[in-house]
Amino acid sequence: MNILANSKFNKKNGNPPHIKKINLENFGPYIILIVLALAYLGPIFMLVNTSLKTQTAFMRDAASLTTTFEIKNFSEAWEKANFSKYLTNSLLYTFAATFIYLITSVFIAFPIARNYVKGSKQLYTLYIIALFLPTGLIPLFQLILHLGLYNTPIGYILLFLVNPMGIMILVNYIKSIPVEIDEAAAIDGCGYFQFVIQIIFPLIKPALATVTILHAIRIWNDLELATIYLTNQNFYPITRGLIVFRGVYGSNWPMLAAATLMLTIPMLILYLFLQRYIVSGLVSGTIK
Amino acid sequence: MNYHFGKGRSRLTPYLLLIPGLFFYILIVLGPSLATSVFSFTDTTGIKGSVIHWIGFANYKEFLFMGNASHDNLAVLGRTLKFCFYVTTIQFVLGLIAALLVNKKLKGTAFFRTLYFMPVILGVVIQGLMWSLFLYPLGGPVSKILEFFHLQSGFFGGQPSEAFACVIAVQIWANMGITMVIFISGLQTIPDELVEAAKIDGANSWQVFHHITWPLLTPSVNTNLLLNVIGSLQAWQLFMVLLGYRNETQVLGYLIYAQGFGQTSGSVTSSFRQGYAAAASIVLFLIVLVIGLSVQHFLQCREERILG
Repeated sequence: MNILANSKFNKKNGNPPHIKKINLENFGPYIILIVLALAYLGPIFMLVNTSLKTQTAFMRDAASLTTTFEIKNFSEAWEKANFSKYLTNSLLYTFAATFIYLITSVFIAFPIARNYVKGSKQLYTLYIIALFLPTGLIPLFQLILHLGLYNTPIGYILLFLVNPMGIMILVNYIKSIPVEIDEAAAIDGCGYFQFVIQIIFPLIKPALATVTILHAIRIWNDLELATIYLTNQNFYPITRGLIVFRGVYGSNWPMLAAATLMLTIPMLILYLFLQRYIVSGLVSGTIK
Repeated sequence: MNYHFGKGRSRLTPYLLLIPGLFFYILIVLGPSLATSVFSFTDTTGIKGSVIHWIGFANYKEFLFMGNASHDNLAVLGRTLKFCFYVTTIQFVLGLIAALLVNKKLKGTAFFRTLYFMPVILGVVIQGLMWSLFLYPLGGPVSKILEFFHLQSGFFGGQPSEAFACVIAVQIWANMGITMVIFISGLQTIPDELVEAAKIDGANSWQVFHHITWPLLTPSVNTNLLLNVIGSLQAWQLFMVLLGYRNETQVLGYLIYAQGFGQTSGSVTSSFRQGYAAAASIVLFLIVLVIGLSVQHFLQCREERILG
């Protein structure tokens, strides 16, 4: 939608005298912004364009504008790629792991923030250390293997139950909530568990949103662990499914583009609606 | 630590509720991480029931000093550093330019900001597929543009150096948004009055940037440099999606994965050199540590010079 606003600007620029905002000084910045934008719009546009072509049209001229609207690429890709299965798996993994992670994390972050357990400082340090340690890729694999969880959904979910960054975000946020609330609730006879679930959870919603997004997107986009830990096609998440699909139909770019686009669009819509949370979640996720 | 929710046995509740999360943390992150160094001194393969021998520093010796393989490994190390250098510097500069422009009070900047950040949410698979298509060598759009200048490239399927350069480009494309957002949050802490005052005093845009914006951006400069350096040293998944395990293009992260789990799948039926892979992870960890600490040190000195 903003593209329109932008092209409007270009037209306006043709007859500038009565428009104050746009002067020559801003011309340079816009040129750079637009050139950079092409690198971002180009691949998406190419994806959309290709997904609507026939295979022959693509072979003849890959870059030309499509003259057809091969919607059948989408339905065919959907069926052949077994997407409904993979999507169900991805949704299951993402929901289950994020849910368990959030609950367990708050019960760690809350007592650390409030100093309600002995050694809470050391506990917090333990989580910070994790950000600097080497990855335990190999031992973790053997652990999962020996637990009999290799190539099982439970084993795969288990891998996503930890994320030290989320703990830090939660601890910092909970610290900003006044302790007086705890005291008042305790005087009213509220128990610890009940207090955390009923009072703290609603109070830390913004932090929970950030952490949820940080964690959920990481699971949703995971390819590495899915490649290592899952060999049964029935358990594949959508990322792995798409790679398999490429392996089989890689030469049919229109169908592959349709498949890719079908997975891109929901993410883009989600992004446009939850942009604020997504940006803060993903940025804090990288500060690892 | 005033605990309000009861005494005696109910005092244990917070401890009990904390156990599940802590258990997962030790099981999945802390334990395996510490065990990596132990594994690196063995010849473990990851196959159930196979005998594991303690072999001392043999993995490290082999990795760094023995024969052709070590020659290749050193090339992989060099390539990893090269990847880190190009990604860090270009992403830093582009991210800074994008942030400065998007932060201007111009129409439509929100759109550009949204657009530049977009790839971050898509993940390596979609990023990779998008670019494989966009850089389609037989008449794809970029290929056509090159043709116009009488150039040609096989991109991801071309010479190793070309393929490698293309992955660098995609890596930057994919993560520039994060660098930009961090710079934007830094820029927003700089008071407008300061810039206005300098302009009234006759400073031009470059002088404003050089004497006000750049020094005051120091915290976000530090964050971004460290993030990019560490992140790009460890990155390898785009290589998997875009190139596969191709000679003369591998980076260290990918080598670890390939040695530990085979090149294409995690099947446990064939034998994999997980002890060797563990040693390689320790090498990567040490590189990240040394480079990370040096950058940190450099940044601290710089900060003292500028702000101290």
